[in-house]
Amino acid sequence: MNSVSVLAAPEIHAPPVEFSQLAPMLIVFGAAIVGVLAEAFVARPARYAVQFPLALVGLAAAFCWTLWLGFSEKPQHAAADGAVAVDGPTLFIQGTILVLAMLSLLLIAERAQDAFTAQAAALPGSEAEQESMADGGIQTEIFPLTLFAVGGMMLFPAANDLLTMFVGLEVMSLPLYLLCGLARRRRLLSQEAAVKYFLLGAFSSAFFLYGTALLYGYAGSVRLSAISAALSRSGGSETLLLAGVALLSVGLLFKIGAVPFHPWKPDVYQGAPTPITALMASCTVVAAVGAALRVFYVAFETLRWDWRPMMWGVAILTMMVGAIVAITQTDIKRMLAYSSIAHGGFLLTGIVATSESGLSATLFYLAAYGFTTVGAFAIVTMVRDTTGEAGHLGRWAGLGRRSPVIAGIFAFFLLAFAGIPLTSGFTGKFAVFQAAADGGAVPLVIVGVLSSAIAAFFYVRVIVVMFFSEPEPDAPSVVTTATTATAVALGLTATVVLGVLPQPMLDLAGQAATQLFVR
Amino acid sequence: MNYVILSAILFTIGALGVLIRRNAIVVFMCVELMLNAANLAFVSFARMSGNLDGQVIAFFVMVVAAAEVVVGLAIIMTIFRSRRSSSVDDANLLKY
Amino acid sequence: MDLYIPVVVLGVLAFGFAAFSVVMGSLTGPKRWNRAKLDAYECGIEPTPQPVGGGRFPVKYYLTAMLFIVFDIEIIFLYPWAVAFDQFRGLFGLIEMALFIVTVLVAYAYVWRRGGLEWD
Repeated sequence: MNSVSVLAAPEIHAPPVEFSQLAPMLIVFGAAIVGVLAEAFVARPARYAVQFPLALVGLAAAFCWTLWLGFSEKPQHAAADGAVAVDGPTLFIQGTILVLAMLSLLLIAERAQDAFTAQAAALPGSEAEQESMADGGIQTEIFPLTLFAVGGMMLFPAANDLLTMFVGLEVMSLPLYLLCGLARRRRLLSQEAAVKYFLLGAFSSAFFLYGTALLYGYAGSVRLSAISAALSRSGGSETLLLAGVALLSVGLLFKIGAVPFHPWKPDVYQGAPTPITALMASCTVVAAVGAALRVFYVAFETLRWDWRPMMWGVAILTMMVGAIVAITQTDIKRMLAYSSIAHGGFLLTGIVATSESGLSATLFYLAAYGFTTVGAFAIVTMVRDTTGEAGHLGRWAGLGRRSPVIAGIFAFFLLAFAGIPLTSGFTGKFAVFQAAADGGAVPLVIVGVLSSAIAAFFYVRVIVVMFFSEPEPDAPSVVTTATTATAVALGLTATVVLGVLPQPMLDLAGQAATQLFVR
Repeated sequence: MNYVILSAILFTIGALGVLIRRNAIVVFMCVELMLNAANLAFVSFARMSGNLDGQVIAFFVMVVAAAEVVVGLAIIMTIFRSRRSSSVDDANLLKY
Repeated sequence: MDLYIPVVVLGVLAFGFAAFSVVMGSLTGPKRWNRAKLDAYECGIEPTPQPVGGGRFPVKYYLTAMLFIVFDIEIIFLYPWAVAFDQFRGLFGLIEMALFIVTVLVAYAYVWRRGGLEWD
């Protein structure tokens, strides 16, 4: 932004950049760049051994720094000349993203499950592919790509102006498009998922950008606080404003996967390599909801009587369609995708509340949902037969008899999704619905409870299939490895702890929310 | 103001193109058209409001669009090589 | 209007030089034609025959185009920076741009080491 003043003022002074407050993002991006260098200069066999620790250490260091920022500095600050807001919600969301990304990284790094193609450029079914498969390597570019995506996810909800938000959105999405197409098995499916995700994602970000352009035309600035200020001045063109808000919302709702803009979600979740699905289903949703919270709470708060009816409709549709369509699914990843759509609806309920309790409830829900999701997808990667992951629900029949522990944990995750008491899902839903009811959205809460009931039906159906039907003779077996097991264990622990002892986390979310958004 | 209207028209053409055209590359070009329509809007709003933010934003958008082109072409190329077709109708393995 | 006189002069000079070279070349140079010389000129690269059944380009073109776009577009940030360079106070502008270029160089190193720049 400093080149704006370039032409106006004869002298340009360095803009203030608070590197210490931006450090978590800078560490992640730095690790990603070092990862690219490692791809270039480290010999192929040694790459995995370099990339995985590098990525893990980068994420862990960023997380430690975030914790330190949160507990010692308590920043309430718009850093980098106001482009990035470092405040309570930002730090909470960034911390959540980093932890979830570490868990997903454990799945991504799993070599025994060979989820990723050895060479993305080789044609499916060609000799080159056979050769590179036989070498036993994987495309180690996934690590830097993941780090770039995570960095974008951290920037997206922290952005304090719409341009930074757009850049964050793209930095988050572009690596994900590529990662989607890298599955080792069912490569055509995976590539198709990548094309669909890319075309629809680019389409939606074009909407986001045009919305930004219209809002810039309305307010003369893309800074969220400036838009909010322009709103309270109430001059300018209503048409520009409302069209801008609508187009911007399309872009944001697409990333959350809310209903009129959801069709990409099941396709992409099914086609992408399962570790990447875990990353998308947890971290991307957290980032997108975080960004939506900031936009609607900071920029459009004074306008809430105008956007609330629209968001009501979207939330209701999302909860109902997600829950109802999930019933007919026969593929486990597709079913989880529809379940994730329904959860997007619950999260929108928290956004609609536009209150401090709505904010803290949404933050808590994001953390709770993220852990359960990563855990559930981790188990999906473990259940395998000779052709790779056993995706079809029928193949899961009798899993409870063959490996009761894994099936039991999966059942527990499903119950958490359904929102049964003593799981994190219950606490999260309760908090969100309470906030929504306080905000006067009682019908929304009723729809939410109804949708939860419908959702419980298909979750329980999966549990019944796993425990009360005979296994097929060639039923898939459970392949357990150290890293995947760690991811499952951590997801399980978080789900239990947030369900039984939610208070510390609720307090943390509450604290983050009381700082509210910096303007 | 005329430029804003022109940009709105371009945006609409792009959006319609995405919905109607079947070739992935053409769809993608329509998305680029939408991004450039946004750029035009940014620049003309910058002129109307008298601050230069919009022009700077246009630079950023161009860079992001270029990165998007690269990623998009790579993905479309891969699927084209494995299927010999870049029609979005042929991509139909993922269904409910 | 005075501002534009140098531009016009330069344009006339450029046009004149081009016309002079072409005319003088055709008048004075030896004319020994062969197949290679009659081929279409494609900026020095050997012309690629059009494939049968419609102009599909080899994947190599896309690869090169992609690399070109990525590296070319970075210039966008360099121009405004260069224009305003003498207005910067302190080293901040210089360091930031150095960081930016190093980042681009990292991508370049990756492409180079992984064989992205080899034509065949």
